Amino acid sequence: MTATSQLMIEARGVQKWYPNGFHALRGVDLCVSKGEVVVIMGPSGSGKSTFIRTFNALEEFQEGSISVDGIALSNDLRNIDAIRCDTGMVFQQFNLFPHLTVLENLTLAPVVVRKRRRGDVEAQAMALLERVGIAEQARKYPGQLSGGQQQRVAIARSLCMEPRILLFDEPTSALDPEMVGEVLEVMRDLAADGMTMVVVTHEMGFAREVAHRVVLMSEGQIVEEAPPTVFFTNPRHERSRQFLAQIL
Amino acid sequence: MRPARAAPGSIQRSWAHALRQELFGSPADSLISVLLISTIIAAAFSLVRWALGQAQWAVIQANTTLFAVGRYPVQQQWRLWLLLVLVAALSGLSWGLLRAYPRADRSGQLWPFNDRLAVGLLGFLAAWLPAALALGFPLQWRWCGITALLVAMRWLAGHWGRSWPPGLVKLIPVIWPLLYLFGMVLIAGGLGLPRVSPSEWGGLLLTLLMASFAILLSFPIGVVVALGRRSQLPLLRWSSVLYIEFIRGAPLITLLFLGQNILGYMLPGGWAPDRVWRAAWVLTFFCGAYLAEAVRAGLSAVPPGQLEAARSLGLTMPQALQRVVLPQALRIALPAAVGQFISLLQDTTLLSLIGLLDLLGTARTVMANPEFLGKNAEVYLTLAVLFWCCCAALGLGSRALERRLDPTHSPA
Repeated sequence: MTATSQLMIEARGVQKWYPNGFHALRGVDLCVSKGEVVVIMGPSGSGKSTFIRTFNALEEFQEGSISVDGIALSNDLRNIDAIRCDTGMVFQQFNLFPHLTVLENLTLAPVVVRKRRRGDVEAQAMALLERVGIAEQARKYPGQLSGGQQQRVAIARSLCMEPRILLFDEPTSALDPEMVGEVLEVMRDLAADGMTMVVVTHEMGFAREVAHRVVLMSEGQIVEEAPPTVFFTNPRHERSRQFLAQIL
Repeated sequence: MRPARAAPGSIQRSWAHALRQELFGSPADSLISVLLISTIIAAAFSLVRWALGQAQWAVIQANTTLFAVGRYPVQQQWRLWLLLVLVAALSGLSWGLLRAYPRADRSGQLWPFNDRLAVGLLGFLAAWLPAALALGFPLQWRWCGITALLVAMRWLAGHWGRSWPPGLVKLIPVIWPLLYLFGMVLIAGGLGLPRVSPSEWGGLLLTLLMASFAILLSFPIGVVVALGRRSQLPLLRWSSVLYIEFIRGAPLITLLFLGQNILGYMLPGGWAPDRVWRAAWVLTFFCGAYLAEAVRAGLSAVPPGQLEAARSLGLTMPQALQRVVLPQALRIALPAAVGQFISLLQDTTLLSLIGLLDLLGTARTVMANPEFLGKNAEVYLTLAVLFWCCCAALGLGSRALERRLDPTHSPA
C-alpha cells in the first residue's frame, strides 16, 4: 500500500476481443501491490471476471501487457505454468474435484506439480483445513459438503500451493445467504495475514471493511478506482453513483 | 439390545402388498396376470422337461475340450491350466484387496451381499458343472481346486490385505497386464515353450482371447481418439473424425473380410501374420471407434470449470487430463463402454463367418458331425448360456466398479 512496495500484478492497456467479435476489455490498467486487497465491482457483463481470469491465463488477451509477480505473461507455456503455481484462484462454482476426497483435493497439486512428499503435504493440508474450520470433513467427498464448506475447501486448496496472490471470482455468488458469512470470514482472515488478493464480488460489507482499493468496471473499462471510504461515500463519477444507487 | 423383529416382516408384507396391487389390482388385471403367468410357467416347464428328459447332452459332454480350447494340442494343454490357475489366484487377490480397502469415506461389511452370492454361485458351478459334463475325476478335482484357490485368495486378501506392505498392493494393477502378456506367451509359445499356431486355438479360448485383446487395446485407442476429436489441432481432429466415421460407416462383417484381405499390406510385417491376428486387429479398431464416441460423451459431461480449476493450480494439460478430467469422464463413459464391450464379445461370433473356430465356429463343426446331427437345440442353448454368463459377469463387474467410483452413491 505504500508507494515503495513491490508490484504483484501490473496490467497495462489490456484489450480482449472474444472470437465472436465482442470487445470485452477496452484498455484496462491495474496495479496491485504486495499485501494489497483490491475489490473489483461492476454490473454483469462489464468484464470484471474476464479481467481477473487474464491474470492466470485462463483467458487470452490480444493487446497490452500483464506481469504477475515479476513474470511477464506471454505465450511461453513455462511462464504460464510458473504464474499459475504462484496464483491461486477461487471460483464462483467452487470447481472442487468431485472424484477426490477433500484432503486429496488439497494435496493433488502440491504432490503432482511441486513434487512434494505426500506425507508432508497432508500435514500441511490438515493444518489448512483446520484453519478454514473443516478439518473433520477431510475424508469426505465434496458432494457431501454444503456450499459454504465447499468454498472454504476451495480456498484451502488454493492455499495449499502456497500462492503469493489469490484471485477470487465471485466467491459467494453461488452460495445460500446463510453461508456467505463463513466464506467471507475466511477471506477476512487471509487479508489480515497480508495475502495479496484481487476479489470480484458484490459484497459491500467485505469491500468496505477489508479492501484497500475498490475498482468499478463498466463495459470493459475501469470507471473509478478509489479507497472504499471514498468510493462508497463520495464517488467521483456519475457511473459509480448509478451503480451504487442500484445495489445499495 | 436387539432391534425389533417386526421390521423385516413388515417390509416383506409391503412387498407382497405391492405385488398384489400390481398383478391383481382390478378384475381385468387379474385376468391378464393369470393368463400371462400360466403361459410363462407352461413354457418354462416344457423347457425344463425337454432339458432334463428329451435333450441328449452327449453332444456337449463328448466335445467339452473342443468347446473349451478347440484343437489346442493335448500335450500342451497344461499351459492353459497354468494360466487358469494364475488368473484365478490374481482375481481372488484383487477381489479381496478391493474389499479390504473400502472407499476412504465409509466403512461397511467386508463382504457385501452380492459378493457372497457370487461366491455361492462359483462354488455351485465348480461342484455341479464338471459332474454334469461327465468330466473325469481328475478334471473335476482341478475345477474344484481352482475355484477353491480363487475363494481362498479372496479371503486371505480381504482379511489380511490391509497389513500387507502398500508396495505389494500397488503392484496389482501392474501385475494384470504382465499376466496378460505372460498368458499370451503361454498360449502362443515362446520363451522356450513350443509354438502353438493360432489356427489351433479355438472355442471359448479363442473367443475370450479375441474379446480381451480387442477390449484392452481399444481402450487406449478410444481415449486418444476421443481427445483427438476435441483437440484444437485441425489435423488431429480431422483424422480422428475420419477414423470414427469410416469405422462406424461399415458393418463389422465387411471390415472383417476387408481386414483379411488388406491388413497384411497396412500393418508392419509380423503384426498380423495370420487370419486370427488380422481379425483381432479389426475387432480392436472397430471397438476403438465406438469407444471413442462413448469417451467423448464422457468428456463433454465434465464441466469446463474442472479443467480450469486444475490448470489454475498449475497442473499441465496432460496432468490435468490424467488426474482430473479423464477419471470423471471415464466414469461417466463406463456404462456405455461396457455395453460396447458386451456387444464386442458377442460380435466375436462373426469370426466363424470368416472361417475361424471361435465358440460358434466350433459349434458349427460339431453340429456338422454326422454323429451329432440334429442336436442343434442342445448346442445353441449351451452357447447362449455360456455367452450369457460371460456378459453377465462383465455387466456385474462394471456395475460394481461404477458404484465404487461414484462419490455420491452408497457403496456396493
